[in-house]
Order: sequence, then structure tokens, then C-alpha cells
Amino acid sequence: MYIYLPIAEISINIFLILGLGGMVGLLSGIFGVGGGFLMTPLLIFLGVPAPVAVGTEANQIVASSVSGVLAHWRRGNVDIKMGSILLAGGLVGSTIGVYIFALLREIGQIDLAIKLSFIVFLGIIGSLMLVESTRAILRSRRPGGKRRKLHQHNWLHGLPFKMRFRKSKLYISALLPFGVGLLVGILSAIMGVGGGFIMVPAMIYVLGMPTSVVVGTSLFQIIFVTANVTFLQSVQTQTVDVVLAGLLLIGGVIGAQFGTRIGALLRGEQLRGLLALIVLSVCLKLVWDVVITPEDLFSLELLR
Amino acid sequence: MFPLPAKRFCILAAMMVFGFAASLTSASLAQDLLVADLNEKEVAITTDFNGADLLLFGTIDHELNDDVVIIVEGPPKNIAIRQKSRVSGIWINTESATLDMVPSFYQISSTRPLNVITSSKTLKELGLGLKNIPFDLIDGSSISGDNPEVWKSALIRNMENEGLWNENSDIKVRKKILFRSNIHLPANILPGEYHVRILHFRSGELFNETYSLINVQKKGLSAQIFQFAHNYPPAYGIFAIIFAVFMGWGAARVFRR
Repeated sequence: MYIYLPIAEISINIFLILGLGGMVGLLSGIFGVGGGFLMTPLLIFLGVPAPVAVGTEANQIVASSVSGVLAHWRRGNVDIKMGSILLAGGLVGSTIGVYIFALLREIGQIDLAIKLSFIVFLGIIGSLMLVESTRAILRSRRPGGKRRKLHQHNWLHGLPFKMRFRKSKLYISALLPFGVGLLVGILSAIMGVGGGFIMVPAMIYVLGMPTSVVVGTSLFQIIFVTANVTFLQSVQTQTVDVVLAGLLLIGGVIGAQFGTRIGALLRGEQLRGLLALIVLSVCLKLVWDVVITPEDLFSLELLR
Repeated sequence: MFPLPAKRFCILAAMMVFGFAASLTSASLAQDLLVADLNEKEVAITTDFNGADLLLFGTIDHELNDDVVIIVEGPPKNIAIRQKSRVSGIWINTESATLDMVPSFYQISSTRPLNVITSSKTLKELGLGLKNIPFDLIDGSSISGDNPEVWKSALIRNMENEGLWNENSDIKVRKKILFRSNIHLPANILPGEYHVRILHFRSGELFNETYSLINVQKKGLSAQIFQFAHNYPPAYGIFAIIFAVFMGWGAARVFRR
């Protein structure tokens, strides 16, 4: 059964889209990640125009983050003060990002820019996760081992505008979360991701937040940043396809339900190792795409 | 009884009248006989649209050297054509050109291959065949070292791969009078007016022609969403966000244990 996507302007098998949503939802349920960083490249592989994949994913992430944050909210795992500072940076960053996106699209380099950003970030995050989880698996086999400090102090902690974040048990410069938010916001707009896969490690390792509040706080600010991206992309490039977003979400929600149950059965470091392998294989596929000689050196774009 | 010259004149006159009448009937008959119609003239791009197949049929007065050529042309659009080259190991779009008013869809069908039907000069004059589609280059002529043939063939190749341009000699003629041709509009066509030209060639010369029109329109929900997104972008953006929040909240309610 085919469905004509009104904004993407292509006809696609509806079960393929539901299945893709379900599969990515399953993975995000198992691993507790947003899944945007997998969904956007996979949509591009399926033939959805890259700008539409990015604009639509932002819209879908608004929905999945809303449903995700509610559980964290009830458990009190959202640091609203920290989230607001991250969000302030995120709003500025995503606005800059959408502007860069429109610029790249005009000069015909947006597809490449999207792919290269994914290669860089999936490559870095995937490798780091793989190394970390391998070490953790090896360490767990050897008994003993030293406990790490809560967080290390370095030059970042000397920055001005210090603020107290009670829930995160931190006293750090507000510039730090603002900067992290800004950077992730730019990426979020260009790549069509929530940015959780960059935000979460940054919150743990750069800001030094306790892991219990990291996911909830990150989801909280992702809602607003992706809402901002959805709005700006709608206005600037008209690349948000609500039909596609809705179908992906339906598949995703169902997939995530099974995912969380499977995730509960697996161990943390094994989970992270497995996710690292998935991330790296998507990254390799993208590298392959930009490195091998294309079948046709010429490509066309219908201008409106 | 009649003097010889008069008798000769009579015969001549009779022959002339008869001959004239005969040629008149055959001409008007042929003119009348190029009749064509489509089984559908309206194509709606709805939510379940996955391409459309139309049937064009008609009659001609088919003699030994007659041919039918049918051209279907979609709304013209500007097209950017980009050329990749390898920059430090990565394939990047480095050159680009913009072509003015290229038909977004072009299907040409004929009874025999075009170069068999008539001379390449005639084909060029009438703009028949993928190679003879007229369009202008707006800017960026640096593409492929100013050699228009390279990007022209790249354009044709890419449009053919997309299923938007097509040249075939699949028209069937039955009983020397009835011809039929299939028009395949793929799922990625643009809405607009599709002009259909039906040409009748006799011994390599354009003998008669007729026209028809297919109207391709977005209809139903998908059309409304598209128009909403393009006519009221800020409102659409806000709608998309509210829709997502509602969906996400609903999903959390449904699966809350």
C-alpha cells in the first residue's frame, strides 16, 4: 500500500515507513536514545530528500521527546534550571543552524553537509562508546577497580557567571551549559536530530552532571529546540512533512514499547557496545556513499 | 457527332472534375480521420497516488508510409544540473548550471523509431525526440568545460533514470486504422497541464496533427497539507509542533503502565 507524502512529494510504501519507525523505536527503547541520529540517515537511504528528512525528523523528535520526558518529569529527574540555560543556548544555536542549512541548500551542498556531519559525529560517538564499553566489559570480568571521582576540575570551572544548580549538585559557570546547548542546537538544525547522543555525553563529561538527571533534562530541552527547528524549517524551507512524521511516530511508539522490555534484559555495557556497532555501521555506509565514485557524476534538482 | 476538339474537351473536363473531386474526398477523409482521445483527462494526485497509466487511442487513414508520433509534455521548470568531482577523496558538487524551462515530463511514442520516420532535420525543427527538446542555459556554463553535449546527455540520462523522460516506439496500429498508446505518468510527476500532441506523418512529412490536454492536480488531504505548508508557513510550523506534542502526549498515555 503506497502513500503519497505531501511535502516530500514522493510515493512510498506505508509499511516501509511504519517498519522503519518501529525498528528505530525498538532500538531507542532498548538503548534509551532518541533515535534521530539513525532515523535521518535511514530516511535518506530510502530516497526521502535529505532536507525533508531533516525537517521532518525535527518534528517527530518533538513528539517522541514529549512522550519520553513525562516519565522523567513524574520521577523528578528534570533539572529545569540547567535545562533552561541549555535551552537558551539551544534556541540561539538552532536558529543559526537553520540559517546555515538554508544557505547550504542554496549553494547545492546541503546533502553533502548533512552526510559529513553524520559521518563525523557518528564516527566519534560510535568509536568512543565502543572503546568505553569494551573496557567496561573487560573491567567487569576482573574484580576490584578504583572508584572514579564525581567529576574532575579543570580550566572550564574557572569561567565567569557561576551559578548554582541544586538538582545537579553543581556550581559552575552558566556559559558552559549555554555553550553546550548552542553547539548541539546548531547540529540539531543541520542534522535533524535531537542531539541527545551528543548532549548526554557532554552533560556527563563536560558539565559533570549526575547521570540520574541527565536524560530527563536533555529530553526537556530537546522538545523546545526541535520545536524551534520545526518552526524555522517550516518557514524557511517548507521541508516539514507532518504525514511522514506521524507515520514514523506511530511505528516508533510501538517499537519503543518492545524495546524497553528487551533493554531491561540486557546489561548496560553490552547494550552500549551493541549500539556502538550499529552507530559505526551507519557511519561506514555514509562514508562509502561519499567516497566511492558515483554512478553518475551529474545530478539534477528541480527548482521551484 | 461532336467535332473532335469538342469531344476531347468534354473528356478532359469530366476527367478534371472527377479527379478534383476524388482528391478532395481523399484529403478531407484523411483530415477527418486523425481523431484521438484519452481515456482520462484528469489525474488526481491523492494520498494513495502511485503513478497513473492513461490510454490514448485514435484513428488515422493508414497507408503504407504512415506514422503516428505522440508527445506528452509536462509543465516546464528550471532545473539545476550539478557536476561532482573528487576533492581530497570526497565527491563534491563543484560545477553547476541552471537550465531554463525544461519540460518536467516528456514522453514521446511513435509507431517506428523517430529516425526511421523522418529526417533528423525535420525532427530538430519540430523539437521531436529527447535530443531535440528545446531549452536555454541561464548561467554556470563552466560545467564540463563549456561542452554543452556533456551536460545535455547528463540531463537526458538523469531524467530517463527518474522515469520522467522517455522515448519509445510502442504505438500499435490495428487494422491499419486504429492506433493506441500507453502514457505512463510516474509517482514523482509535478502537477500542472500536460500537453499532448498527436502528429501524423506521411512519407516522412508532417501531414496532420491534433492536440489534447491532461490536467494533473493535487487533490484531497495531501493537496491541502501542501498548500497549507507553502501558503502559510508560520501557521503550518505551529500546527506541526502542536500536532507533535499532542501525538507524543497521546502515545505516553496509551502506553503508560
